[in-house]
Amino acid sequence: LTPSFTSAVSLEDALAALGSGARPVAGGTDLVVGARQGKASLPDAIVAIDRIESLEGILAVDGGLRLGPLATHEEIVASDAIRERFTALADASAIVGSHATRAHGTIGGNVMNASPAMDTGGPLLSFEATAILRSVSGGERAVPLAELWTGPGATIADSRELLVGIDVPGPEPMTGSAYVRLEYRRQMEIAVVGATAVVTLDGGSVADARVAITALAPTIRRIPEAEAALTGSAGGDDAIAAAAGAAAAGSSPIADVRGSAEYRVAMAEVITRRAIVAALARARGEHVPVPASAAPHRPTRGADA
Amino acid sequence: VTTVDTAGVTTFIRPDGAEKVTGVGRYTADLTLTGMAHARFRYADHPHARIRRIDTTQARALPGVVAVITQEDLPDVRFGGLVQDRTLFAKDVLRFEGEIVAGVAALTEGIAAEAAALIEVDLEPLPVVTDFVAAMEPDAPLIHPHWASYERDENMVANGNTIAYSTIVKGDADAAMAQADVVVRSRYESDASQGVPIEPRAVLAEWRGDEVTIWSSTQVPYAARAGVAQTLQIPEANVRVVVPLLGGGFGAKCDLHFEAQVAALARAARRPVKLIFSREEEFTAIAQRREGIVMEFETGASWDGSMVARRARLILDKGAYCGEGGFLGQMAAMHACGPYQIDNVFVESFLNYTNQQPSGSVRAPTAPQVCWGLEQHMDELASELGMDPVELRRRTLIEKGAEGPTRQIFDEVGIKQTLERAVEMIGYDRELPEDEAIGVSVGWWPCMPAASGAYIHLNGDGSGTIVTGAQENGSGAVMAMPAFVADELGMDPDDFALLYQDTAAANWDMGSCGSQTTFNSGRAILAAAADVRDQLLDAAAAELEVDREDLEPAEGHVRVKGSPDRSVAIADLSAAGTIHGKGSGEVPEVPTGDTGGCVGRLGNETFLAPQLITQAAHVRVDPETGVVRVLKVAAAHDSGVILNRIGADGQVTGGVVMGVGLAISEGTQLDEEGRQRNPHLLDYKLITSSDAPEIEVDWIQIPAKGAGPRGSKGVGEPPQVPTAGAIANAIARVLGTRVRHLPMTPERIWAASQGVDG
Repeated sequence: LTPSFTSAVSLEDALAALGSGARPVAGGTDLVVGARQGKASLPDAIVAIDRIESLEGILAVDGGLRLGPLATHEEIVASDAIRERFTALADASAIVGSHATRAHGTIGGNVMNASPAMDTGGPLLSFEATAILRSVSGGERAVPLAELWTGPGATIADSRELLVGIDVPGPEPMTGSAYVRLEYRRQMEIAVVGATAVVTLDGGSVADARVAITALAPTIRRIPEAEAALTGSAGGDDAIAAAAGAAAAGSSPIADVRGSAEYRVAMAEVITRRAIVAALARARGEHVPVPASAAPHRPTRGADA
Repeated sequence: VTTVDTAGVTTFIRPDGAEKVTGVGRYTADLTLTGMAHARFRYADHPHARIRRIDTTQARALPGVVAVITQEDLPDVRFGGLVQDRTLFAKDVLRFEGEIVAGVAALTEGIAAEAAALIEVDLEPLPVVTDFVAAMEPDAPLIHPHWASYERDENMVANGNTIAYSTIVKGDADAAMAQADVVVRSRYESDASQGVPIEPRAVLAEWRGDEVTIWSSTQVPYAARAGVAQTLQIPEANVRVVVPLLGGGFGAKCDLHFEAQVAALARAARRPVKLIFSREEEFTAIAQRREGIVMEFETGASWDGSMVARRARLILDKGAYCGEGGFLGQMAAMHACGPYQIDNVFVESFLNYTNQQPSGSVRAPTAPQVCWGLEQHMDELASELGMDPVELRRRTLIEKGAEGPTRQIFDEVGIKQTLERAVEMIGYDRELPEDEAIGVSVGWWPCMPAASGAYIHLNGDGSGTIVTGAQENGSGAVMAMPAFVADELGMDPDDFALLYQDTAAANWDMGSCGSQTTFNSGRAILAAAADVRDQLLDAAAAELEVDREDLEPAEGHVRVKGSPDRSVAIADLSAAGTIHGKGSGEVPEVPTGDTGGCVGRLGNETFLAPQLITQAAHVRVDPETGVVRVLKVAAAHDSGVILNRIGADGQVTGGVVMGVGLAISEGTQLDEEGRQRNPHLLDYKLITSSDAPEIEVDWIQIPAKGAGPRGSKGVGEPPQVPTAGAIANAIARVLGTRVRHLPMTPERIWAASQGVDG
């Protein structure tokens, strides 16, 4: 294979390039940084897809969303539809990397890079989003994100498939969501512990709950025990504590330069609790600014405060 | 140079802003010469190993390779500051992961990298010493078994892996401690950290005959020149070091750093050769990191707070080689005393070799870590005495006539004023939410006297050229010099150009280190300006037929005092091209004291014109996660008379931000074999601009005697000294317990809040 770089202007061109062995690049924020760090060398053949207009945009479809894979984090944060109804996704995109990363990095690149530390993964998984993969041969399949990610950096997509959209079904009324990340710094952070909560209220009780943990397992995963602890409850301190405890119990973090396993497990509980508290507040119509991680967390501030 | 004068405060707007912001400015890595080859180093494959064989055959055979060299190809010379313990390329033994085994020059960077990987190195691994405390055990493997045969300073007191043992002694600390009302003991430990200049270093070398020109991103071009001359065994006159724009240094670009290896490669390749470091090399290969220190403090005090005795024991991680950091232990010992009045002192320090990256001067070397420990210890003492920490400092800080730790007598010093001012700026007695608190820390740092020299030529048109050995590191200190000269000569700052950062142009200067640019280089430049002034007055006296005592330079003329109409233009006086001044000024003397009882005297037993600092930090702690946000730092400094307010304020702003990083996030982590685990900016966490606190700065301006020009002291290093200590004391107030390991990361704070020793 001769090293090559082509820039596709149409989906057909991009798929043709994939068919001859090229790898796609959109924002390049993972690919280039990874290569410089020696994680993985740059592919021999690269096709840039950043100029393909049909892959851009954030569309409201049937109460849900169709995210173009080229939608940048900056565009996601700026979207009123996402801020109002898929707030956890806005929380996540608002804290990815730096200003520069958010301006260049795309949701498609984020999803297909399949990092267990990706911030948008927990919200997309909790909203039960589906990846639309188009094959070089022309076929298309819809893969739930829960099935897409198979391990750190690994997806079930094959090299002849391109992500062409992410479908996110619309949440029920009275739904609130939040993504909270442990942040050592205010910028340039990578998730050490992250948690997503999506809760739907019915009157005074939780009708539906989804809880996902980030950077705490080989892939981003939902925690059914945490969801069960909340569902049917009044969203009080005990239910929240039980759910947060379940998230900690469901985590199997690595120990590395960013934190010990013990600390991460302890933080899994704290951060999950905060995500649930923020999601419940939003479900009740209270204002929790985006990103939810930025709020100072007073020790006195409990679930019902 | 634009001069702004508001309400008596003079500031100089730096002229380099536009070229840096627009990208026009040229740094070393931007330079290209015809036929230039690219250098790459082959590093150690093991942090401690004996070299059995190095085989460069395959590397040499690779097409495009123009030179491969090892120590075999170079003079058998060891270099280093107080101990000459290192060769340019490894000889016989590898002592840390960044040790250079060989150098390659090739037509492309890619070929150079491939060739470096093709060098075969046959090693016999040796036991690795990573723990700098265990390095002192009697059975610890020796990093330098042949230390005794090295050239070294006779004051270096060595034993085993301890390269330098030093004590600071005053009176009888043991006896006084036994009599004290209260005795407090503390132990603190700091990790190693890094200077992290934004510009990774670059070196470009080109030979013409026997003479080599080296463009280098160094803070110390003359030290680099001397190092090249020594290690390649050529005269200093044949080595010219030129520094293009320097993208920061913070001490990490002090000392000889790769100029000689690149020059040797260029000579072997018969081509210009350029080396550009990656960010990872900037972490692992340089011999200048901030050292890890284990500190034990013990203070005996009377109930009124007066300190009768201080004992301290400091163990410092020197890493594999001495470099310029042989003095670190003794400097640390002085910081274990601090700017306090203590009747009896016994402080000892051990500077130990390990199989790690060498430690060296990073902005106020040793002071921020020791100050972080000592100032927490002082708060612990205050707590034991039932006294407010600020009140304890009020009662114990030095003042005019006080005796230092080696009985030097201080002149007027402003430390107590800095304390009151910082406390006022931060609003010390304010009510705060329970997750917020204010902490206070004081600190000090000596002025570093050194030789310097400058020339000033006046040109035929009345403009002038200032030639100085001073090195600009981005602080603006050198760029401010035309304003000082213009002031002396009654001219305009824009009349002057600077010729600097070129060892062929000016005479020796210590470089951008030791907060010395205004202090020493400025003194020399002002002396040269005084020489020019004398020559102008003599020439004008002849021209106007007036006694020179009646003349003054002003507004581009020399004029008769009181009769401004009788004048001659400086441009006319300089038209013949004969006005050229030079100067060095008198190097200030280090004060004397009673230092006879101190072991390992390396020159820091007393402090010349100490720069004195109080900083107060307002922080918010999230006790559940350990995440700290520093909300505000109030910094009050006594650096004598401030000559350039905006530049001085900038030094404090930057120093405080570095101090916040040191306090809560910056630390080099090592694996069991001494390899760095986070040699990149993803996991070596600098503080971002978003994390920078509000910073309020004020100056206590007491004219310093026998110090820098116009009553000034140094400015650049002190701002980082007390920041971490102030933050630590604030964190302790929120938590009700102390974090005893630096950096105070969220995990360590969380552990401390859980009752685990962080």
